[in-house]
Amino acid sequence: MTANLPILLVDVLGSVIMVVLGVLSLFKAKSLRDLDPDNVVFLYLIWICAGFTIFAVSRSFSHILRQFLVLTGSGDVWASIGPFTGAVNTITFMLVGTVTLFFNQSWRINEKVLSAKQKHQETSAKLLELNQTLEHKVVERTEKLTSSEHKARRIFEHSLDTIVVTDPAFVIAEINQAGVELTGYRKSDILDNRMGLKDFLAVRSEREKILRLLGTDEYILNEEADFLRADQSLVRVLITGGVDYGAFGCGKTFHFIIKNINDKKQMEQQIAQADKLAALGELSAGVAHEINNPLGIILGYTQLMLKNPGDHEEDLKIIEKHVKNCRIVVSDLLTFARKGSTKMQPIDVCQVVADVIGFLGNHSDFRDVEIRCPEPCSGPLMIFGNEQELAQVIMNLMINACHAVDKKGCIQVETGMDDHGRVKITVKDNGTGIPEKDFSRIFDPFFTTKPVGKGTGLGLSVGYGIIRRYGGDIMVRNRKEKGAAFTVTLPRIEMNSDGRDREEKR
Amino acid sequence: MIRTGCFICLIPAWALILPAPAFAIQLHTGNAGIIAHQIGHLFFLFAMVTLMFTINSQGLIRQKGWRQIQLAALFFIFWNLDTLIAHFLDNQIEVVRIETLSITRLAVTTQSDSQLLAVIYYFLKMDHLWCVPAMIFLYIGLDSLLKAQREAQRQAPGGKEAGQ
Repeated sequence: MTANLPILLVDVLGSVIMVVLGVLSLFKAKSLRDLDPDNVVFLYLIWICAGFTIFAVSRSFSHILRQFLVLTGSGDVWASIGPFTGAVNTITFMLVGTVTLFFNQSWRINEKVLSAKQKHQETSAKLLELNQTLEHKVVERTEKLTSSEHKARRIFEHSLDTIVVTDPAFVIAEINQAGVELTGYRKSDILDNRMGLKDFLAVRSEREKILRLLGTDEYILNEEADFLRADQSLVRVLITGGVDYGAFGCGKTFHFIIKNINDKKQMEQQIAQADKLAALGELSAGVAHEINNPLGIILGYTQLMLKNPGDHEEDLKIIEKHVKNCRIVVSDLLTFARKGSTKMQPIDVCQVVADVIGFLGNHSDFRDVEIRCPEPCSGPLMIFGNEQELAQVIMNLMINACHAVDKKGCIQVETGMDDHGRVKITVKDNGTGIPEKDFSRIFDPFFTTKPVGKGTGLGLSVGYGIIRRYGGDIMVRNRKEKGAAFTVTLPRIEMNSDGRDREEKR
Repeated sequence: MIRTGCFICLIPAWALILPAPAFAIQLHTGNAGIIAHQIGHLFFLFAMVTLMFTINSQGLIRQKGWRQIQLAALFFIFWNLDTLIAHFLDNQIEVVRIETLSITRLAVTTQSDSQLLAVIYYFLKMDHLWCVPAMIFLYIGLDSLLKAQREAQRQAPGGKEAGQ
């Protein structure tokens, strides 16, 4: 006989505890699974806990039932049920065992899943970083591109030289503001009318040369050409250009930079002219000085001999007359060469011009000439010089103009200020104008287009010498309408109330 | 093609028309049940041993939860050994027989009246002393894994703690 109670208690209580623990374990496994649904091991734990719970329920039920039936004297019933509960128990712990055997595989699968997940996260992080870097770079490059485009646009728009973009047929596709000003056309007219670069090249030989060079070399460098403006005037330009085969899907284009060298050319010509006249002046001064003394002696002796003329009075007078003429020429040469000494003082240009016009207006040569002063002086325009010399210069210019209009035309005299605050005197005529070939020589001493004996060719050169001595300049051009225009510019001085010059304005 | 199909269908029909004794079906004696049950226990034991070694080999022993689950497997191994021996004694070789006399008393009869065997069998019958601790270790092992997982998630980037 043995105590049954310990076995009974352990059996029944143990069965109940097994069921409770099985269910609790199942809940724990489910909680784990909820935390990380992708974890295969947690799924495996649910399966194994479910197996244990089924096993615990099955086993506990059979154990409690057995105790109950045996203790209630129903051993026979248990004998018939026992094999079935035993079989169910066998199946449940076979199930648990089977599930358990898959732990290793589940773990490996989970490791792979975790590894893949880790790689995925790392790749995602890298992609995110790359994406951010890319976005940052795109923003940075876009800013640089915008800045660069802005700079290029500003250079294009604000360049003082003309910048032109043409298609392969040299039809203008883009032109900057300087180009618009150079051509004289409106930008819309240039683009809408499909004007070409060729349309602006006035000289055929220059146009053909430029096109030939562009065809062969695909670039031109500092090619000079006459540029035809909208008002049909010509401007000397320097053209540099080349081909651009384009990028990012852009087509082939030509880019040109056109520099206006008109002023530079004129200045170079003026400098050359000034140099030449200066050299001539030096020569003339030397010659005049050497001749002046013998002439003085000849004139002195001639006049001495004329006091007792005898039979040669007429001859002596002829000699005296021609010597005096020679002295005038020598005096003019010295004036041109700036070697003379004259009294310099403030003079009113307006007054001098008015006096000259008044004097010449009564001259017989100007009888059929209309002298116009469209804008009379409103006030004194003071310069520092010699009144007689300035009058001589203006008179020479007007006499030349009178000859140019063949003593029956119109001479226009304008006195005023130029853009730089200098006194400007312009003498225009509507005569024949000056031939292009003579421009470089008209200020040369003894150069004249008048018949022999009619002029010495010293008028303009003497005038040039006087004006240069005053710090001024004298320029000539042919007018668009007809005739020539001589412009004298002189530095202006302002007078104090006491009549003293205060400041020289240049 | 159709002819081949008809021929295949005729084979089972021929087998039904001409029946013969089926000597392949074998009769099972009463011991087959207990043997199957014992094999089940052995299989369960083998699975638990495998689980223990797997936990070791995968390095999970470093985690408290898996160590506790390993202990659960160890107790299940003991439980399986307990039940294997008990079933061997009473069901297989039938050297022990137990008879419930009342709620407080029972009689353990051994073949050679061995008191030692009776005592051993008596304790073997209290197999819940192995499987209940096994289930307890399974439960607390899962609880430890749950706590560790929550802690790991809290410390992970984007977790609650990391976000603070």
